[in-house]
Amino acid sequence: MNGMRNPASIATLLALILVMALLACGCTQQAGSQPPTTTSPGKTRESITLSGSTTVLPVAQAAADAYMNTHANAEIMVIGGGSSVGIQAAGEGTASIGMSSRDLKAEEKTRYPGLVSTVIGNDGIALIVHPSNTVGPLTLEQVKGIYQGKYTNWKDLGGPDMAIVVAGRDSASGTREFFHEKVMNKEDFVAGQLEKNSNGAVKQTVAQTPGAIGYVGLGYIDGTVRAVPILVNGTPIEPSVRMVLDRKYPISRPLILVTKGEPAGLAKDYITFLLGPEGQKILEKEGFVPLGQA
Amino acid sequence: MTLPLPRQAKQGRLIPARTGETLIRLILLSCAGIAIVTIFFILAFLIRDGYPVLSETGITSFLLGTEWNPTGYPVEKFGIVPLVAGTLCVTLGAMAIAVPLGIACAICVARLAPPAVRAVVKPAIELLAGIPSVVYGFFGLIVLTDWIRATFGVPSGESWLAGSIILGIMALPTIISVSEDALSCVPREFSEGSLALGATHWQTISRVIVPGALPGISAAVILGMGRAIGETMAVLMVTGNAAIVPSPLWNVLSPVRTLTGTLGIEMGEVATGSMHYHALFGVAVVLLVITLAVNLVATTIIGRLREQYAPGRPCGNAVPGSRRASLLSPEMRERAKIILLVAVLSLIGLPAAGIAGYAGCVFLFSLVALSWRRLSPRTTQKIAFFFISAATATVLLILAVILSDILVKGLPALSFEFLTEPPRDLGRSGGIFPAIVGTLYLVAGAIGFALPLGIGAAIYLSEYRAEGKLTKIVRTGTELLNGTPSIVFGLFGFAFLVLFLKFGVSLIAGQITLGLMILPTVIRTTEEALKGVPVSLREGSLALGATQWQTVSRVVIPPAVPGIVTGAILSIGRAAGETAPILFTAVVFSQRFLPDSPFSPVMALPYHLYILATNIPGAEANKYATAVVLLLLVILFYAIAIGIRTHYQKNTHW
Amino acid sequence: MSPDTIIATDRLNLWYGDTRALVDVSMEIPDRKVTALIGPSGCGKSTLIRCFNRMNDILPGCRIEGKVMYHGENIYDNGSDPVSLRRRIGMVFQKPNPFPKSIYENVAYGPRVHGIRDRRTLDSIVEESLRRAALWDEVRDRLSRSALSLSGGQQQRLCIARTLAVEPEVILMDEPCSALDPIATAKVEGLIDELKKQYCVIIVTHNMQQAARVSDYTGFMYLGRLIEFGGTTQIFESPRDELTENYITGRFG
Repeated sequence: MNGMRNPASIATLLALILVMALLACGCTQQAGSQPPTTTSPGKTRESITLSGSTTVLPVAQAAADAYMNTHANAEIMVIGGGSSVGIQAAGEGTASIGMSSRDLKAEEKTRYPGLVSTVIGNDGIALIVHPSNTVGPLTLEQVKGIYQGKYTNWKDLGGPDMAIVVAGRDSASGTREFFHEKVMNKEDFVAGQLEKNSNGAVKQTVAQTPGAIGYVGLGYIDGTVRAVPILVNGTPIEPSVRMVLDRKYPISRPLILVTKGEPAGLAKDYITFLLGPEGQKILEKEGFVPLGQA
Repeated sequence: MTLPLPRQAKQGRLIPARTGETLIRLILLSCAGIAIVTIFFILAFLIRDGYPVLSETGITSFLLGTEWNPTGYPVEKFGIVPLVAGTLCVTLGAMAIAVPLGIACAICVARLAPPAVRAVVKPAIELLAGIPSVVYGFFGLIVLTDWIRATFGVPSGESWLAGSIILGIMALPTIISVSEDALSCVPREFSEGSLALGATHWQTISRVIVPGALPGISAAVILGMGRAIGETMAVLMVTGNAAIVPSPLWNVLSPVRTLTGTLGIEMGEVATGSMHYHALFGVAVVLLVITLAVNLVATTIIGRLREQYAPGRPCGNAVPGSRRASLLSPEMRERAKIILLVAVLSLIGLPAAGIAGYAGCVFLFSLVALSWRRLSPRTTQKIAFFFISAATATVLLILAVILSDILVKGLPALSFEFLTEPPRDLGRSGGIFPAIVGTLYLVAGAIGFALPLGIGAAIYLSEYRAEGKLTKIVRTGTELLNGTPSIVFGLFGFAFLVLFLKFGVSLIAGQITLGLMILPTVIRTTEEALKGVPVSLREGSLALGATQWQTVSRVVIPPAVPGIVTGAILSIGRAAGETAPILFTAVVFSQRFLPDSPFSPVMALPYHLYILATNIPGAEANKYATAVVLLLLVILFYAIAIGIRTHYQKNTHW
Repeated sequence: MSPDTIIATDRLNLWYGDTRALVDVSMEIPDRKVTALIGPSGCGKSTLIRCFNRMNDILPGCRIEGKVMYHGENIYDNGSDPVSLRRRIGMVFQKPNPFPKSIYENVAYGPRVHGIRDRRTLDSIVEESLRRAALWDEVRDRLSRSALSLSGGQQQRLCIARTLAVEPEVILMDEPCSALDPIATAKVEGLIDELKKQYCVIIVTHNMQQAARVSDYTGFMYLGRLIEFGGTTQIFESPRDELTENYITGRFG
């Protein structure tokens, strides 16, 4: 080894560590020293965290943005993770509000007895197929048959001669659980079902697979997929906010905010905002169904 | 002028280790101790939460059950056979793709390519390792599955094959760079000896260099396999996740579900404390056991190979070669080789049955294999080099396709505002500044946590301990953690840091979780780098009366710095690109202020991308732009690592 | 060119990058004799013999001008093939470099790569080569042991046996004894004496006594030039060049 090189290498190592350290310090300092520009003096900043269902996340975030625009001292942060993460976070007190796209389960109720649920809106679930699929309206019974594997070709349902590719959500998903109860009557799904962990992934699969069928929230319907109307008592019902509000469309589920005890402080204000006209408008804009008059 | 001799030498007294030495030893020991405790703490935690499923549903119905149906009514079913089958299928398929391609590519880079080509190809391949797994999954879901559907005329492209291809691509960089190192390390004397006997270049490569590098190549394959088994985010986006055993068993176009995929898609929504929750931890434990088994088999194989080709580790120290003869007689080995060849061919062939193009390749391959011996060395060399170049070209093509797909769609949306403003309208417009900063915070914290601890532990283990039980335990532990899917770390971080220690969802929880995730890599690469320093250097220093720490700090560490730094920066790259560990521990989707304390949550790029891609309709442009920024950031880290390494490689010789 | 010349160089020049390692080397090497190349470290003697079997080809940045004639053919001509050349011109290296294989496999390696597969033929080649390298009696009972279990001297003789197994015409030896103890050196030197009956041996050595002991012809090199070439007795007893004289009398080097 060359004697001159060792100190140089050590110096490099030290320098590297130093840079790391500086970076870390610098970061915190910068963060600390940067005054929140929108805070008006005199009032303390209040902050809450929402955690949970990724389905509810867009609404919660959009509402939080709108709320913070008018309330400069409020800070509302929204964390994803999943319904159970949200319920657990609310129960454990690590988040002020939990978001859930399903009802609390028995285990959760026993574990966190003090939780209070507030329904903020509904989510219509639409059945979607590839835009090229010409299949007509389906009855719930037929949808169930598809998801049970009774029908394997679209021609059996009056569509083109094409194998059916069944896509759905993962078995822990609130959406799937709801679908399982409402459409499947708790009967088993076909084993070959493609399971996706998000609405976006289901839509993506359906959009690029001519034979696929999937179910997603209303907000995900766009030009890349075709929503199939549901035949209710012989009348085809388009999946739309209107139809869900009118209680004609059969598949919809509640969106829930969970708090430990009755909401208070900023959490209460925020939920009130969300339930108010402005909040409900945001809900609708994100493709969900407002609570309506009922 | 008198020589500045240390005082005790002048006094002629023998003083035992000084307090400084003892202190340093203690510090290093505690680093190693913390590392060990953490490793086993995580393991114990997983087992504790996984145990109830075994006690409630019974070991047999869990391990041998053929149905995974957590929402089954009236009875939930937690049989993991389809999941294990899925993991094995996808991993084997990935290896069938990655091993031949990877080794061929490594040979090309290490031994065939002219320096100019090598200088381009090697970093390019390492960049492949820097692509975050969300990006791979993204690409796989949108491009690959569609291609498979159209090419093979099947209803859906989400399949075992898609999973294997994506995982194969992800395992490639590991396999290539580690094998390439091993191949480059075979001393020149061996190849000169062979060439001087009139062997062709290819004969020298296939008969002397590759066998000499076999321990390293096996290690490469195992590492690649570890990456494939543990990958979550990418694989769950492309395999379809149907919990079924492919039928027939070699139907590569069947959808499958892996153990990691199950964790990835179900963990977020499962109710805490339910049987389903425990079942998922059970799945994590099974995953660990599989990783452990693979590692044990691998260690045994590599150990045996090392014994056979002991000095074939010439990059390392002058370890005296073991004097054991080879286990098999030459004829038996010849026969074993043929059997192995047939096995490998059928392994490649089996999943490929029914796929015309690939079958053609296999046919061609077998044809060549059959007539191999009748061909002149010159012709075999030509054929071999053709295949090797073709493999390398394929790898580069893959890289080009993935990068160009993302860059073409993402670059147009990049702008100064995008980089410097907070997101608006759920990330559909506005920028990603807080996410960039958040990612940097997370990474800096993770490295600040893992680097001192990992380096300290590695120094203690490699310089202060003889190979023994302790080192073995730590090595097994780190290897286990290395193969643990990142989502398991996320889980641990959530349950322990966020809930138990009441950190809440916070920057610090994410930093520690990421730090834990990269700890094994840091320990491992540091140990490797330290081992690469010849024993003679240590002896030289100790013989001059230097203390252990003087020797380590002045003689051993400096030449190991490039290795350590490379390891560290590769870890940074990995930490920056990971979604799963921070999913439950540190991130918020949107933030208008930068975090003001370690206990507030942050935004992060991979998570932002993940949510944009899966839960925000209509964010196409920003989704790709975020992918580009994440990609560039990770690539930047890797480029620094590669630069440092090249710099030091030029300057360090012994 | 005299009739028994086997290798001849003609104004051979070699560069490593910008460094000129050989300068206009012209010499004729006779068959079935031992030719020694001597000279101080870095004088280019190893570089020169590595030119004879084109081992320099594998080093990056290496450029060669001039001719090396082997049986009247320039080995650096375009159509000339280094692989078949190396089958006929074998080489033994400074540091023993047996492959990490068994003793048997080391010797059988050359014949195998040249297409011999018959087990009995291989057996007899291995035995014959080991006998000629005076190693057979020491290893006959442990042919399947790792070559690395041998001592340094044995390893070097194994490398010679390995070279002989290919049946070359010329054997290049690049300081073959520099890593060996005196007893092993004596054995290898004895072996060289045997070998010259059938082979042309070219040996590079630091050790002038060794050159005097084993060689028939000696070339003295200095700073990349061949200063003097002639019969060993003549070089050592009446060198024509002052540099040669200074070197062999130990005044520098």
